[in-house]
Amino acid sequence: MQPQQKNRQERSILKDKLSWLWSEYSVIIAFLIIFIAASFMSPRFLDINNQMNILMQVSIIGIIALGMTVVMLSGGIDLSVGSVLALVGVIAVIALNATGSIIAAVLTAFIVGSFAGLLNGLMVAKGRIASFIATLGMMAAARSIALYIANGGSISGEVSGFSAIANSEFLMIDYPIIIFIIMTVFVYLLMHKTRFGRYVYAIGSNEKAAMLSGIRVDRVKIGVYSLTGLLVSVAATIETSRLNSISSSSSGVSYELDAIAAVIIGGTRMTGGRGKIIGTFFGVLILGILNNMMNLMNVSPHLQGFVKGLIIIVAVVFQKRE
Amino acid sequence: MSNDWIVEMKDIEKSFNRIPVLKKVTLQVKKGEIHALLGENGAGKSTLMNILGGVHLADKGFIMVDGEKVAITTPKESQQLGISFIHQELNVVGDLRIYENMFLGSELRNKLGILKVEEMCRQTKDILAKLGVRLDPKEYVRNLDTSYKQLIEIARALLHRSRIIIMDEPTTALAEHEVERLFSFMTKLRETGVSIIYISHKLKEIKAICDRYTVLRDGEWVATGSLKETELDQITNMMVGRSVSEERFVQEHSFGDTILEVKDLGCEGEFRDINFVVRRGEIVGFTGLAGDGRTELIETLFGYRRKSTGEIKVNGKQVKINHPKHALKAGLGLVPKDRKENAIIKDLNVIHNLTLSSMSHFEQAGFIQEKREKSRFSYYRDKLNIKLHDPTVTIDKLSGGNQQKVVIAKWLEVGPDVLIFDNPTQGIDVGAKREVYQHIIDLAAEGKAIIILSSEAPEIMKVCHYIHVMYQGEITASINGDKATEDLIMRYATGSKREGGKGGKYRNAATAKE
Repeated sequence: MQPQQKNRQERSILKDKLSWLWSEYSVIIAFLIIFIAASFMSPRFLDINNQMNILMQVSIIGIIALGMTVVMLSGGIDLSVGSVLALVGVIAVIALNATGSIIAAVLTAFIVGSFAGLLNGLMVAKGRIASFIATLGMMAAARSIALYIANGGSISGEVSGFSAIANSEFLMIDYPIIIFIIMTVFVYLLMHKTRFGRYVYAIGSNEKAAMLSGIRVDRVKIGVYSLTGLLVSVAATIETSRLNSISSSSSGVSYELDAIAAVIIGGTRMTGGRGKIIGTFFGVLILGILNNMMNLMNVSPHLQGFVKGLIIIVAVVFQKRE
Repeated sequence: MSNDWIVEMKDIEKSFNRIPVLKKVTLQVKKGEIHALLGENGAGKSTLMNILGGVHLADKGFIMVDGEKVAITTPKESQQLGISFIHQELNVVGDLRIYENMFLGSELRNKLGILKVEEMCRQTKDILAKLGVRLDPKEYVRNLDTSYKQLIEIARALLHRSRIIIMDEPTTALAEHEVERLFSFMTKLRETGVSIIYISHKLKEIKAICDRYTVLRDGEWVATGSLKETELDQITNMMVGRSVSEERFVQEHSFGDTILEVKDLGCEGEFRDINFVVRRGEIVGFTGLAGDGRTELIETLFGYRRKSTGEIKVNGKQVKINHPKHALKAGLGLVPKDRKENAIIKDLNVIHNLTLSSMSHFEQAGFIQEKREKSRFSYYRDKLNIKLHDPTVTIDKLSGGNQQKVVIAKWLEVGPDVLIFDNPTQGIDVGAKREVYQHIIDLAAEGKAIIILSSEAPEIMKVCHYIHVMYQGEITASINGDKATEDLIMRYATGSKREGGKGGKYRNAATAKE
């Protein structure tokens, strides 16, 4: 009787551990499975150039997804990221051409991006508008202003050296990848090692309790949206620099969906309070690998959205089981 | 003989996680009687009723309805047998009309699937008439008094031809005249042959309305009898298993300086003219019935709501509190009621919940020092006797008592001068309750000023030096803890008695006497 009971107890502990492992690291496990499957399916997949290519392609969405993770952890959502990216790009290029200074252009980008985020934050925190509505408004407005400024077309940089930001390498690694990784580390530290991150989780989980604990909920929220705006401006700088031009009509279109998809695949809960930066990082990589595989296997680009949609739904179904 | 019983529950046993909650409990209810089911919190009343309602399944024992053995495995089966359960939290949809609520889920439709509104209204009217009320069936439920909302639930039960209605503490949310109204509905129901199982703590109400009673204690059947032949004191003794101890936990000791002083505080529509002081080492209680405004008062004091008049002084200095953060800075701490909604962050682990309000104690160069957090946690774990294996699990895995201790520890780490507890023993078991009160008393002895809010007068009497009774947003009485009786408090809390002039006068007289 005794040893049997002990045995059962041990087994239940093991089961607990396994389910804990699954709930904490399911996205990493999923990533490994997809990675291994991909390397069997296409010999070219493991090629180092291809690997770099994947990272390069996901870096812009990846940086946006980091911001989206923070917003979603706080219990909100930001639909305006794609439009703000276009607006930031357009204004940054104008600043670049007007001043001839790359630094001025980058600073302008940061200011415009953070300002758009700040407005989102003010609408959500002070105006008490649902984040979905507030950022939907910002999405339409930012795109419209970008179109107006650029007359509906693209504008190109006229300062040599600007395109170097996204098109240089350091130790064989493209700058955008390095920036993406640095940003990941930065947001990781912010969310897991500082008071700000702790507050964001608390607000996303239980806003009233957070407030009654003495947290300035509105300030934290404004910070959250401003941070996302800033990250979008980093992404916008890379996007603009990569082709040395930005399109007011097509740049950033549906980026918000890709970013949200990466966050969801990464295991962050839609209603906030639960999720990890590292999860989003792998979520972004999973999306990148899938895109890459479909290209390598000559899947029609028209079908790629279908596969992406399927993956998102499967990811959420699996997470529900917790 | 057995035909007399509309419901018979025999030798019911039930365990949760191998802990027995019900041990061979028997309950017999006659046709057309109001049967009181009595017992302290945790005696097993709810579990027994949940078994009858089909929410839980009994481990052993059987249920007979109308002399026939029945198996109730789902709430639906229970309903089909004519059993209706009216819960403490009302189950009506405010944004629907009365008749829509009545027929919710069983709407009458014609062949085309279109609702027969007039027919439903007619039936609703008929049933309401039986209960002696005239309401427009097309009125929105949100516009009704609470007792009428309850009535809608009762009427719905009648519509479904219920023969047995279980009412779980129906009067807690009601004002006095509403209680009378409810009782008259119940009497009418009894006349039509419906049986009611009535769960309540308020013995006087039970004496007034019920015919027979069954007492449970610690999951065991204790007694069944007729209320006419039993004195209330006897029933109380049966419920607690000993004569009720009137012993006060709190020791009298001298108080220090005044820390908190509230003057003429008011908030439009919630409360007005609130005056009180709290001194170092003093435990001040606020009590009253639902709707007395005490929680709103404390939320205002703590900056969660905006005040409209009055001033707050902490340590002699006037403070402006427009946000809980200001309150925290001024030296106030709040352990709110409804822990799950207001106090714990269920997705954060235990340690992170503990340190949430005092992050600056754990930072170095902007980064949180997790080691320091852990060591502070161990300190409070020992101090407050928090029982858990692993502090990195999310807080919702803890029992209610341990969660509450973590919330208390959170405020101790902040180190406020004034600690406010709103319903501090809500949803925690008897043992932990005493412990929580002991901690509160210890804190007062250490020189903190304490405010306790509770609707349970006996609790307040046991721990408070000074008690303010509130009724509809006003302090109707301020009583010294050792002079308070439950009866006195109830009379002020129901508004049937109030002091002449402001509470403040009495307050001064009482202070002078000390």
